[in-house]
Amino acid sequence: MPHGLDELFSARALKRDPDTLAQWGCDWTRSFTVAPSAVVFPESVEEVVALVRLANESAFALVPSGGRTGLSGGAVAGNGEVVVSFDRMNRILDFSEADRLVRCQAGLVTGALQAFAEEKGLYYPVDFASSGSSQIGGNISTNAGGIKVIRYGLTRDWVAGLKVVTGSGEVIDCNQGLVKNATGYDLRHLFVGAEGTLGLVVEAQMRLTRAPAPQQVMVLGVPAFPDILKVLAAFQATLTLSAFEFFSERALTKVLAHRDLQRPLPESVPFYALLEFDEPDMDRAMSVFERTVEEGWVTDGVLSQSEKQAADLWALREGISESIAPYTPYKNDLSVRISLMGEFIEEVDALVAASYPDFEVCWYGHIGDGNLHLNILKPADLDGEAFYERCHAISPKIFEAVRSRNGSISAEHGVGLLKRDFLGFTRSESDLAIMAALKRVFDPNQVMNPGKLLPG
Amino acid sequence: MKVLVPVKRVVDYNVKIRVKPDNSGVDLSNVKMSVNPFCEIAIEEAVRLKEAGTATEVVAVTVGSSASQEQLRTCLALGADRAVLIETDADAQPLGIAKALKALQEKEGAELVIFGKQSIDGDNSQTGQMFAALTGMPQGTFASEVKIADGRIDVTREIDGGLQTVSLKLPAVVTTDLRLNEPRYASLPNIMKAKKKPLDVVTPDELGVDLTPSVEVLSVEPPAERQAGIKVESVEELVDKLKNEAKVIS
Ligand SMILES: Cc1cc2nc3c(=O)[nH]c(=O)nc-3n(C[C@H](O)[C@H](O)[C@H](O)COP(=O)(O)OP(=O)(O)OC[C@H]3O[C@@H](n4cnc5c(N)ncnc54)[C@H](O)[C@@H]3O)c2cc1C
Repeated sequence: MPHGLDELFSARALKRDPDTLAQWGCDWTRSFTVAPSAVVFPESVEEVVALVRLANESAFALVPSGGRTGLSGGAVAGNGEVVVSFDRMNRILDFSEADRLVRCQAGLVTGALQAFAEEKGLYYPVDFASSGSSQIGGNISTNAGGIKVIRYGLTRDWVAGLKVVTGSGEVIDCNQGLVKNATGYDLRHLFVGAEGTLGLVVEAQMRLTRAPAPQQVMVLGVPAFPDILKVLAAFQATLTLSAFEFFSERALTKVLAHRDLQRPLPESVPFYALLEFDEPDMDRAMSVFERTVEEGWVTDGVLSQSEKQAADLWALREGISESIAPYTPYKNDLSVRISLMGEFIEEVDALVAASYPDFEVCWYGHIGDGNLHLNILKPADLDGEAFYERCHAISPKIFEAVRSRNGSISAEHGVGLLKRDFLGFTRSESDLAIMAALKRVFDPNQVMNPGKLLPG
Repeated sequence: MKVLVPVKRVVDYNVKIRVKPDNSGVDLSNVKMSVNPFCEIAIEEAVRLKEAGTATEVVAVTVGSSASQEQLRTCLALGADRAVLIETDADAQPLGIAKALKALQEKEGAELVIFGKQSIDGDNSQTGQMFAALTGMPQGTFASEVKIADGRIDVTREIDGGLQTVSLKLPAVVTTDLRLNEPRYASLPNIMKAKKKPLDVVTPDELGVDLTPSVEVLSVEPPAERQAGIKVESVEELVDKLKNEAKVIS
């Protein structure tokens, strides 16, 4: 049991009851042991600094915790650690219209930043299905991507400044909102995607942008996977896409069974592409559509006529994760270069089929970014443990298929506990050694999220 | 049977409305415009009647600016056969619109006219009823189901206490409620075909109607902002606040 916490935190900000421990001790994953010793809810940078110093003195470990929507166990506390929740550091501190910058605390919910931007007639473009719960600090620490990456990039691209309390308790202000800053190592970027292993992000300056024109959503039926990539290239050559997603008929069937939504096209097609673009580009999009039909890549398509229909079409894609949840799927978030996705999917399908012909494989993802979500569904008659065991047995083969194409074993969900032991597949030995050395610089006593990200 | 469907271009239902700084109206810049959702249901119903062989022709009509052609093209893509724009830049109001539609109906002679029960911009819920009164046609408003047989239309209406079914002699006026149907997506091939379907533009003058508004908007105000809630530390404090601040208990 870590000492000294009671002196630092009031009873309101320090919890040890089983419910709080269970809830704040884990993220969206459900397969790891959850056993924190306490949860603290700091309200100021000073409190965070005092906490980190105490952790160094009394030798206990800290697990930073944001909105707990992470999918790789990064925010899971399984070894008596103290969970540091940013739930009470959730304020917007200031806004500058001329700089288009918002300075906020790390616990600000992503959706609240989006809403704030909208109120100001601006736009915060990082968006995904969990943005109603995830926090800016968590997004930064996982370099979250989402559905608009093809146009707007990742969280990293929107971070203009960071205030961080490092693992040794030092406060550093990185970049402070500048656009240009040619003064050596940009430390800011080390904390983006660090999964809380180097320090605690306490404040951020986030960039906003001009609000886009109203969006149109198209769903196209594409019989053969390789043609999806041709469709992508054809649209990108002509207009700016805000999103380009894909899902398989199998994924669609699950969503339609789970939710009261209309089938997008009268006939089922093996694959679907979902595109979003600015309404003023409508005519150009129609002419590209005509071409994709003439080429035989696309059989049919629909276009949203209202925001409601746009949301319903998006639900076909965004509802997948939830609708396959009852099949307790084995999930994998992978990336390879866009041009290699076709052969990669084929190889993985063949790998799974060769070992387990009765397993259903469900593909979807942010295909415009080369990001695939692989989901293997558990057959009803197989028990969970046996199923995962079999899936884990093919994991290395899947990662090998990624490695051989210079891909990445985690596209946007991070490494956490889930992929820590596989990091070596796509990061070289020298990479890993440098990462470990960096960790020692910022966190000499290993108090920051030990056991996550870096192989032991 | 010919079906006439009046539709309206409105700010999309899901857009957060912003009032112009001078309070003269709603800010329409960079805002998604759509077919009024109840009108979309009206079009869907008419197209279903045509698909079922009950209707022979579906004509979509709107009173509005030339930008409304976009919404008429949507109706054509969803299955209407042709469209008519009664073009005006005036801020047309229900009575004027009803009169213009009456003049058009005299030319078209539709046996069924399906309106949305209201348009979500003004929320008046008047145009269909005024049109029925002006033309002397029977009306079945807030329809959740319609059945056509033997020159009559049975309209099930959603009323406060439950459902009421009225039987009307055709030609008749129906206004749609939300549960009548779920509009389909517009297929891209149909959107392309819709570009070639006829869309006629007529002026109010040609129809002999005057659309000058008879109601003047003085000011548009956003609803009062809700005050943020607060957290209390104890039951005593809660009771105290309910008693002395909110004054909802004594
Ligand atoms: C339905 C669903 C859909 C999703 N879709 C996407 C998607 O499209 N794209 C995508 O990228 N992700 C997606 N995710 C994953 C997840 O939402 C993101 O990884 C998100 O950025 C996590 O933010 P969080 O605040 O919930 O972080 P948490 O899960 O709480 O933590 C994530 C990591 O960040 C660390 N951390 C949190 N806060 C701080 C801080 N202040 N300082 C230092 N470290 C910190 C934690 O220790 C942990 O390692 C999805 C998740 C769900 C459940």
